[in-house]
Amino acid sequence: MHGRVKVRTSEEEKARKEKERNEKLKIFKHAMQKIQIKRKECTLDKELLELTGNVLSSNPDIYTLWNIRRDILQLFKKSNDNIEEMSQVYNAELHLTEYCLKINPKSYCAWHQREWVLLTRDDPDWQKELELCNTYLKLDERNFHTWDYRRFVVSQCKPSLKDEFDYTTEKLMDNFSNYSAWHYRSKMLVELYPDRKGGRPIEDSHHKHELKMVQNAAFTDPDDTSAWFYQRWLLGAVKTTIDLVNYTVTPTKNTFAFSKHVDKNYVSAKTKLLINNCVVNGEWVSCTGNCYDVLWIFQHSTPITKKINIKVEYEIDNGQKQIIQGVECKEMFYIGKNQIKFERNYSEAVIEELKDQLESCRQLLNLEPDSKWTMLTTTIFLHCIDAKAYHTEAIQNLQKLKVIDKLRAGYYDDLIAKWCIEKQLCSDYENADLALKFSFPSPVSSLPYLQYYSYCDSVDLSNQQLTSNIFPSLIVLQHCKKLSLENNNLTTMKNFPDLDLVELNLLGNEKLDRNEIELFTKKYNFNIIY
Amino acid sequence: MMDEDFPTDFQVIVVGTGMVESIVAAACSRIGKNVLHMDSSDHYGGLWASYNFEGLQKFIKEVNSDPDRQKQVYNLSEKWFIEKESAQGETTDENKGEPRKVWSQADFAAEYRKFNIDTTPKLLFSRGPLVELLISSNIARYAEFRCVTRVLTWLNDQLMPVPCSRADVFATEAVGIVEKRMLMKMLTSIVGYSEEEMNNEFKDWNNKTLKEYLTHKGLTPNLIHYILYAIAGGNNSLPCLEGVKECKKFLMSLGRYGNTPFLWPMYGSGELPQCFCRLCAVFGGVYCLNRPIDKVETKTVDEGKTVVTIDSKSKKLNCDHLVIGVHECPEELMSSEPAESCDISKAVFVTNGTIMASEKEPLTLLRFPPLADDDNAVTVLEVGPATGSCPKGLFVVYFITKKTKDAESDLKPYAERIFDMSGGDQTAATDKPKCLWSLFYNVKDTSSPVSSVVDNVHVCSGPDAGLDFDRAVEQAEQIFKKICPGEEFLPRAPNPEEIVFEDDVTHGPEFQREQDEEAEPKE
Repeated sequence: MHGRVKVRTSEEEKARKEKERNEKLKIFKHAMQKIQIKRKECTLDKELLELTGNVLSSNPDIYTLWNIRRDILQLFKKSNDNIEEMSQVYNAELHLTEYCLKINPKSYCAWHQREWVLLTRDDPDWQKELELCNTYLKLDERNFHTWDYRRFVVSQCKPSLKDEFDYTTEKLMDNFSNYSAWHYRSKMLVELYPDRKGGRPIEDSHHKHELKMVQNAAFTDPDDTSAWFYQRWLLGAVKTTIDLVNYTVTPTKNTFAFSKHVDKNYVSAKTKLLINNCVVNGEWVSCTGNCYDVLWIFQHSTPITKKINIKVEYEIDNGQKQIIQGVECKEMFYIGKNQIKFERNYSEAVIEELKDQLESCRQLLNLEPDSKWTMLTTTIFLHCIDAKAYHTEAIQNLQKLKVIDKLRAGYYDDLIAKWCIEKQLCSDYENADLALKFSFPSPVSSLPYLQYYSYCDSVDLSNQQLTSNIFPSLIVLQHCKKLSLENNNLTTMKNFPDLDLVELNLLGNEKLDRNEIELFTKKYNFNIIY
Repeated sequence: MMDEDFPTDFQVIVVGTGMVESIVAAACSRIGKNVLHMDSSDHYGGLWASYNFEGLQKFIKEVNSDPDRQKQVYNLSEKWFIEKESAQGETTDENKGEPRKVWSQADFAAEYRKFNIDTTPKLLFSRGPLVELLISSNIARYAEFRCVTRVLTWLNDQLMPVPCSRADVFATEAVGIVEKRMLMKMLTSIVGYSEEEMNNEFKDWNNKTLKEYLTHKGLTPNLIHYILYAIAGGNNSLPCLEGVKECKKFLMSLGRYGNTPFLWPMYGSGELPQCFCRLCAVFGGVYCLNRPIDKVETKTVDEGKTVVTIDSKSKKLNCDHLVIGVHECPEELMSSEPAESCDISKAVFVTNGTIMASEKEPLTLLRFPPLADDDNAVTVLEVGPATGSCPKGLFVVYFITKKTKDAESDLKPYAERIFDMSGGDQTAATDKPKCLWSLFYNVKDTSSPVSSVVDNVHVCSGPDAGLDFDRAVEQAEQIFKKICPGEEFLPRAPNPEEIVFEDDVTHGPEFQREQDEEAEPKE
């Protein structure tokens, strides 16, 4: 009947599609062959440009073809002085990448080609590129390729940072589940609003504003981790310094422990050992042999005798010099301990904001006692606001979190260990005891800050949950004579560090192979209890 | 244009071009039924129509002068707040320096074609049955939509945006962070509601209200307001489960097209019946407007088959099935008067600005909670020039509620909250937009299903007071299933490029050439 429509049946449709695909494949193979021949012949001409363009239009990820195109364009540039003509060639190239990005917005090579064109041509239009980023991010606000490209464009055309910062606000308001936007924001934040007066990374009012904003996101959707990551970054955005935490000088070995990993240049430039007010010259060697280390050994030829005056001059980050006086704790065993603290250095205003937010968290925790993120954030706030006063509550929370969030029990264990040891370190640094003994309510499974105890001659790590994995970290116990690892979960003696021990206690490690220990005892001449 | 050689026998005759009738017509035509679709008036849509300003004036005149022709509409009152002729045209606001047009009635008349005013303004839920049907049937290509940009409510004596999506909850400064968590948690819990699951969160709340439930959950008054009045569109007596279903419908439609769950048809809701008519015509349906029917008879022919015969302009038309809009249907054909129901109060306003400033032109759904104890909740829709509803500089605002007294008494108190209805200088700076023109009217509720005394006569309901088209879609499908049992309801129509024209087809009878000329329901 006239005017009645007939629709293709699905079988017909299938056959038609199959045929289409075969035809496409034929065309593709033919084109690729032709391209390869021309490439071999080094015929880098317009025809090859067209051939590669055609193939890329439907297969934007063949990077070889982009490479060929760059070769051609470079050749064109060499042989063509007409700026206008070249400009057209580059425009066409940009057009092609744009076309390809429509097919695959996450095509690494298409984005890269675009970058290359803009850096190669003499007349790049950066404003246009920025608009392109806007368009693409409107279509997919989480395409990290586009964000990456945006950072590249911004680095070239240097628009107002404030505009860029506001742009991230706009994008986050649409959808805050966006790591790229938060990340970009963090970069802008420290550029735009540093705290020049207080020397902190972020100026107070902005730090507060960001904390508020991210708390809003976190409370709106606690299961979205992007906001929490930014919050943790904000909490960590405090002034930090590298400290010399202690040093030990004995006739046989001189060690210097730092709060962070530092390299040899840093150590030798910042640290001076003075014996009887004379600067000692020597050689710095890291205790693990790595370039960066937390414990450095100072080798020198000045003899260490009784009752000498030992002190260390250390230059802190801001250029100020610090004198740390050594004390002869036992005969010819000099220790210098610095003042240590682990509190983060927030401003009053930020602390007030954190207290407010802690209050909200506590309210919420009343409503949802088992909410993992609320509990964790509450705990982090407690630690940030006053680690000492809230220590017990924070540790209890972490214990609860181990139950609520079993998958991350190990992470919580590490936090517990870290915070417990921080607390104990503060009191240990106030007395002159040379023995270390952990007596926490619950055993630890990791040993952060161990370099802080490098001066101890007796280290009792018994009744913890340590495994053989901690062996490499024991290397910082350079002055330890008596080490107890009794009642732990050791499984092997492999990787046990080369320490100058007198006694090693391995009792109560059920999984340790006795044969292995016996072999181990033959290797060392100290007393091994097992 | 039915002349002498016009065919008289059809499989299906549809009378009335309202939403339900048009969907049925399209569905029947789509699967190959021979369809005649007619309407007694000169335009499409019946009670669902959109009018330009002149058409609307004609409609108003008709209601006032010939109440029998528009017997569903009563209590109609139109009022102008502006001069007949404008004195100087444009003046300049000295403070801002930008010209603000002073509108006159003459300006409305001059720009009458730029108005598209709905008699049944409705929204589409982005994941509601109508959107799904438009997509699955491929009728969507005949229509254009705009996203509703915001949902507002009236809270603490002022207009407030309702945080309904995740992004809104994040951005709003109206609720504290603990409230944010509570709101999101409640919304998430509602989205997870499933009727099938016996042991669901709401199982013990069968006989209680949504308000009681929300209060029990410890939500703050603000949050209860947002959920109960704005998201569920309910009032204090809304039963819990019904409210939860309403909320879920709202929430499930979020995130598909815009920041709210709603779409608004460009050029008004009256466009939608026409889209279905167009598909009907493409598949061979014949259209006749301006064709009132005089009489409907049924007679039984051989083999017990019943044929329905319609007298229209002294011509007899026969069909196997008659689908007829409730307002076109002779009373003797309906088995009973429609069940006693609550009529609808409606109002339309033209204003010179939006009710709440926004960066881009807004498209607003405002849900008023009842302001007085025995009031019903009021739904307000504000549409601007970008929707093709009115000339630049103006907004058209619709008010809909269930009738308690009459349209004007029911709705004026609400309108006064958000408009300046004092007339006077249009350029004067006010915090509310000026109302330039208003129209109040009541409509009989013809939305409850009516059965006919004859098996193969199917009566289509009129529009309901609800926000969406869902009931119309549901009813149309039911009628179609009765006419064509076992057939697919509006299968996907092919795109032009998928159509194969076969040369060797036999040509149809003479009349079908004419049908082509009439096939398109609109330009």
